[in-house]
Amino acid sequence: MEQLINDLKLQIKEALNLEELSMEDFDENAPLFGEGGIGLDSIDVLEIIVLLEKKYGIRLSNPKEGKAIFQSIKTIAEYVQANRKK
Amino acid sequence: MAAQKWAGTTYGNNWMHKWLIRMLRYMDIRVLYVFTAVFVIPVCLLLNPSRGIAYRYFRQRMGYGRLKSTWKTYVNHCLFAQVVIDKFAMYAGRKFDIEIENYDMFLDLAAQREGFVQLSAHIGNYEIAGYTLVVENKRFNALVFAGEKASVMENRDKMFAGTNISMITTKPDMSHLFEIDSALAEGEIVSMPADRINGSPKYIEHDFLGAKAKFPLGPFSVATMRGLDVLAVNVMKTSPKGYKIYVAPLRYDKAATRQEQIRQLSEAYVAELEKRVRQYPTQWYNYFEFWYLD
Repeated sequence: MEQLINDLKLQIKEALNLEELSMEDFDENAPLFGEGGIGLDSIDVLEIIVLLEKKYGIRLSNPKEGKAIFQSIKTIAEYVQANRKK
Repeated sequence: MAAQKWAGTTYGNNWMHKWLIRMLRYMDIRVLYVFTAVFVIPVCLLLNPSRGIAYRYFRQRMGYGRLKSTWKTYVNHCLFAQVVIDKFAMYAGRKFDIEIENYDMFLDLAAQREGFVQLSAHIGNYEIAGYTLVVENKRFNALVFAGEKASVMENRDKMFAGTNISMITTKPDMSHLFEIDSALAEGEIVSMPADRINGSPKYIEHDFLGAKAKFPLGPFSVATMRGLDVLAVNVMKTSPKGYKIYVAPLRYDKAATRQEQIRQLSEAYVAELEKRVRQYPTQWYNYFEFWYLD
């Protein structure tokens, strides 16, 4: 799980061009949206959806399902571990 | 300071729209054009801040003199009224003469298995003819503003019932982005405007008509996300009954980084938009402060 979290952090950092965010500051439990979090928005989520599809073979198209999955890096990792096809 | 954002909804209430549609079933459309030009537009120009915005656009972006800019501001508002009338005339069942430039490019993409994206703008009158570009084998999804008047939405629904056209309405939680991505993943066509920042505040900056302007990041991000082909589609009014659809391919290096892809695609879009706006300067209908450095 720890390896998956680190892989996801690296992949998301690269996909979203989050150069200013160091791996140490990239807390897997921090909320991805809103204040006190990483401050992503829906366009970033779309990038992550495409990333999950390309890297892990996960097809996610239901936005309601997405709300629970995209709470933090950790919730994404848990979902990937349970549903990955690659 | 004038409004930073345009409300994006058709002027008038539902009752007025229904009355207009009934009238347009019988009346010569040119009578309404003349009526609005003589009685409605002068009043609108006196009351509406769009007057100053359009005037500055002609003075600063097109480089016209004071007198010419004043006249063009009036013509611009008359044309805007005409394209709104035309939209309701279409709801009333009127047909327009449509000419399409580069139709083969659209057909080539429509014949492929993959989906593709059409980027439009608030120039000319996309709604009147944009939906002419449809094919049986590919569903066409148009992104439309959710705050639009009920009468407009109802008439769109009536017009497109039983066709291969569907509407994706913008939503405050931005879930329409998921619908767009899902449609593209299914190999469908998605059409959206790419000249107004709406929802996500993310933007990309470009030189446009000689000054810096912000364009929304979302459409370019969505379009490049799956490495799909992209067309610019602009529909310009050429006569009281005529429109011309300009189809242009927007190229970007699909092997480049995501940021570079977005930069290249948005640059191609802005270049095509500038070309059409210079060709039809009076059909520019973004009545808000589009340029932020003067």
